[in-house]
Amino acid sequence: MVHTKIETRNFLKGMAFLSPWLIGLATFLAIPIGLSLYLSFCNYPLLQPPIFIGLRNYSHMIHDPVFWTALGNTLAYAAMALPVGMIIALGAALLLNSKVRGLSLYRTLVFLPSLLPAVASAMVWLWLFNAKLGLLNFVLRKVGVAHPPAWLSSPRWAMPALVLMSFWGIGNTVVIYLAGLQNVPRELYEAADIDGADGWRKIRHVTLPCISPVIFFNLVMAIIGTLQNFTAPYIMTGGGPVRATYFYTMYLYDSAFKYLRMGYASAMAWVQFLLILALTGLAFWSARHWVHYQGR
Amino acid sequence: MGKPTLAGDFQSVIIIGVKSRKCTMIQNIFKYARYVFMILLALSVLAVLAFGPHGGAAVPPHRVVIEYWEKWTGNEARQMRKIVHSFNQTVGRRRGIYVRYLSTSNIDQKTLIATAAGVPPSIAGLWDMDLAAFASLGALTPLGRYAREYGITAKTYQPVYWRACHYHGHLYALVSTPMAVALLYNQQIFEQNAKKLRAAGLNPRQPPKTLAQLNRYARVLTKFGPHGRLIRAGYLPITSWYVDETYLWFGGRIWNRRTRRFTLTSPPVIQAYRWIQSYSRWLGVRAMMGFYSGLSNFDSPQNPFLTGQLVMEQQGPWMANYIEYLKPGMSTLRLPKKLELKMPLRKRVKNYAWAFAPFPSAVPGLKNVTYAGFDCFVIPRGAPHPRKAFAFIAYVNRQKVMERLCMMQGKNSPLARVSRNFLDHSKNPYVNVFEKLAGGPNAHGLPRIPIMPRVYAELNIVAQRVALQEAAPRQALARAQKRLQRQYDRYETIQRLRRAEEGKCPGAGKCTPPDLAPR
Repeated sequence: MVHTKIETRNFLKGMAFLSPWLIGLATFLAIPIGLSLYLSFCNYPLLQPPIFIGLRNYSHMIHDPVFWTALGNTLAYAAMALPVGMIIALGAALLLNSKVRGLSLYRTLVFLPSLLPAVASAMVWLWLFNAKLGLLNFVLRKVGVAHPPAWLSSPRWAMPALVLMSFWGIGNTVVIYLAGLQNVPRELYEAADIDGADGWRKIRHVTLPCISPVIFFNLVMAIIGTLQNFTAPYIMTGGGPVRATYFYTMYLYDSAFKYLRMGYASAMAWVQFLLILALTGLAFWSARHWVHYQGR
Repeated sequence: MGKPTLAGDFQSVIIIGVKSRKCTMIQNIFKYARYVFMILLALSVLAVLAFGPHGGAAVPPHRVVIEYWEKWTGNEARQMRKIVHSFNQTVGRRRGIYVRYLSTSNIDQKTLIATAAGVPPSIAGLWDMDLAAFASLGALTPLGRYAREYGITAKTYQPVYWRACHYHGHLYALVSTPMAVALLYNQQIFEQNAKKLRAAGLNPRQPPKTLAQLNRYARVLTKFGPHGRLIRAGYLPITSWYVDETYLWFGGRIWNRRTRRFTLTSPPVIQAYRWIQSYSRWLGVRAMMGFYSGLSNFDSPQNPFLTGQLVMEQQGPWMANYIEYLKPGMSTLRLPKKLELKMPLRKRVKNYAWAFAPFPSAVPGLKNVTYAGFDCFVIPRGAPHPRKAFAFIAYVNRQKVMERLCMMQGKNSPLARVSRNFLDHSKNPYVNVFEKLAGGPNAHGLPRIPIMPRVYAELNIVAQRVALQEAAPRQALARAQKRLQRQYDRYETIQRLRRAEEGKCPGAGKCTPPDLAPR
């Protein structure tokens, strides 16, 4: 293939325009990612140079009970927050897609919490979950629950409390569902009406298949999001009580910056990356069976 | 469409004329509005620049700037800023030094990252807990040489603080402000329950003298509400910030420096955790956690001690400072503060609803036990102008300056000599209690273990498991002991490997790492 001078010049010009992004990508993403892979095979306490220790970080991980506790907590949280969150978001989107008075207000109200910074939300929920003064227990006492849970101080209730809190931020997911719902062809509903389908059958056989690509997108984002949960538990429980809400990313953070084990934290980051990759891959594999694209 | 007529055309012309006039007007408005908008924008930018938030004060010419990162915010930051200002006006001016104070959250992590990146501040204000970890990794500048130049020696300091500033025989820190743990109790609630206390054979005008007595006081002062809900706790071990040091009041130790083994399963440590568990057995886990979960923040008027939800607690001397601005009424029962400060100490204490006393020990004959901790100045490795930075540290360690700072923050002094004025006129009328505790033979600093943050994390889990009755103290401690020892041994192995790689010893496993060298 022969390149003319003009083509070469244009290529160089193009690269020059791209270079700020390329340099940024290399400096802040590609090089740190490569370095973290190398550091995962090192002992690196940040203040001393890294020394190569082979696979020792990974083998320590296998024998580290806190690693398994953190991983178990994260998976348990994902198993609770992900499906329930998606169902609630879909339900809310279906309701907000119907024609009722004050629809814009309801949509705004559902979306509003997701605009709040995570730290501010956590502080609000800290008060809501307060065992003595919290609104939640106040309501529970009013309806006759003599001993409402101690929520964040109870190993049994701390995790469900965080799951409950996660539903507060479903606004983004709802908006994406709404966009999907508004793209469902009306003639399909009309055809279903002619066939005598009731509301549930229309949802089951028209709505859900039509918005399955949107559900799939939200599923992938939710897998990534729930496995990286950090801010709320870090602020609200600090991982306690008795590590009941100690998440993977919290242990990763503590290992790096509190226990000065940057090498171990890097290894944990790579394991987390592989885990997310595997689960996302599984979602993509399963998508062949339940995601329907128009025109296919 | 109809045929155009003259009248119609005329009408159209008029309409077009009116429209075009309107358009010109609108265009003009837009044209001017654009200028007006730009002028307004420029004015607001100028206003922000002129009256908006400013950085620190401008640095006077010919001064070397010393960046000082400190964890304190709010009241304590304001008080330290006064000291910094005094330095800049006096010694700093003479010696061409200008200290710039910066309040920094997560000071330990930020200092760590800045040091690793080679751009540390000249001075960082860390906690005693960080010292061993930072020093063992060579992240701190040894201060011994500088300290000697300024005449700061072991004799200058209370022994407990001086010892804790060292790691492996080197001085790595000097105290900015110290603390010691004592029993803080609400005298008003004691008096309100005088009858009950007397009936139980306890003196409402005296604090408990032994741990057994403290338990009895706690039982009398604890109050339950409907459905067995806990309303007020006489004492509750898990609410203490120092629950991980409880073993000290049982005569225990968690670390054997000579053998480098953890001693978590030694009888006094197990007893300490049994005592912690005894409270949840008595109150019930549900009632206790319901109460604990409902407690508000320390730094707020809803602080459980200030609201009367907690009658007794382990606390440091700074609480005087916090009470003064969170609930001043508790420190001015009879007289305004200004008048009270002029009175003799024995009269001053009557102005307070609260009091401090040594926290009682579980071991007969073991008196005035305390954990003596501190905030400290360090000079990170590679920090610019270490000598000039130390000039500021030495300034704060002058008796007068240290007393001024500690008086403002209501704390005791780390120095061996204190003035009468300091003891009599501190805003904390019980500062002498802390002086006595910190200067006594049963004052203990933290064990200097390089993996100290991990030790704290484990001990905290033990305390939680025990309090929640999820495990027996012996079992929980044995588990923590095993994990911590394994982590420490691994740390040692890596240090050996490092030394071997650096060529400082013949081979891996054969040399003594820095923290293992004989003392």
